[in-house]
Amino acid sequence: MELLELVWTFFKVGVVSFGGGWTVVGLIKMETVPRWIDEAAFSSLVAIAQATPGPVALNAATLVGWRSAGFLGAVLATLSVVAFPSLAIAGAGLVGKRLKLNSGALTESLRSGTLAMMLMTLWFLLPKGGIDPVLLALGAASFAITAFTKINPLWAIFGAAAINMGLKLAGF
Amino acid sequence: MKKEKRDGQGGIPAAITAEPSPLRLFGVFFWISAVTVGGGYAMVPVIESTLEKRGWTDEEKFYDLFAAAQSFPGPLAFTTALMVGKELCGAAGAAAAGIGVILPPFASIIAVGALIGRFGQIPAVAAFLDGAGATVAGLVAAMIYKVAKRRKWNLYRIVGTIVLAAALILWPSGSLPIFFAGVALLYFVEGKWNS
Repeated sequence: MELLELVWTFFKVGVVSFGGGWTVVGLIKMETVPRWIDEAAFSSLVAIAQATPGPVALNAATLVGWRSAGFLGAVLATLSVVAFPSLAIAGAGLVGKRLKLNSGALTESLRSGTLAMMLMTLWFLLPKGGIDPVLLALGAASFAITAFTKINPLWAIFGAAAINMGLKLAGF
Repeated sequence: MKKEKRDGQGGIPAAITAEPSPLRLFGVFFWISAVTVGGGYAMVPVIESTLEKRGWTDEEKFYDLFAAAQSFPGPLAFTTALMVGKELCGAAGAAAAGIGVILPPFASIIAVGALIGRFGQIPAVAAFLDGAGATVAGLVAAMIYKVAKRRKWNLYRIVGTIVLAAALILWPSGSLPIFFAGVALLYFVEGKWNS
């Protein structure tokens, strides 16, 4: 059933979403494009997810749920993402006393793991095949602005959106 | 300066030192979540200063909770809300704080999604959305650059990260077991080299 698969997909996303939402955007894309949403729509939805309040992974789940199965889909996808984290935190008090983990090693191994997940995200977000040169330039500019300046990435998102709109309306 | 009525706690107005309750936790997290754009890393400092101003935690206690929240999966703002809610008001507090964080983005995303569904076909709107979408890969690359720059690298971290990333890219449908097997292996290696 469609809804059950949506729930299972986002439950899985919740299980591996260590270290901030961007780690799982690649996984979300793998699981949902092109089945529930097409490639171009996915990218613009993720940009919107980043530019509206709330965690990116959660917003992306809500949007994909909404696009694939309406309001019910949005509710179920959102709850599915937070289901496992909620259970884990609720259960931590019980397990934590028995299981003694080396917290330094745990933090470092999770850091390596989440960075690998972010590289996976980047790989699946990179455009394959032909791309509009304007969009390519905007993507490169947003990298430079976010990596090398302290300018809020929101300006990169809205700036790129406005520039592309202006150029397309001007007939480029 | 006008003299205000103060309670005993270091001159902090009584209204601000109101004891934490699930309802108040819901309100605080709802408000922060509604006004902070940019995901978990943007929200955490705002949560910290708000809770400290209310006298509910101090900086050290908060960042201990935050560190614990980071070792759980899940959106950072959400897990931090659960840890803080649990610490201050138990299970009811955790539920209230968690729901408070989720509701505003849920509502705003539904509103935006509905608008796009309605106006997304208009050429100007479509071009606007394409331009926004074009930045996403650039933003992720920038975040990877920043995280990688701050990281304390050594040989097994470099090899571990690259091999794990390659495995995830080659077998994305197995990402769940690959991620956990990789992290478990790296945990073992970290423990062995650092002990």
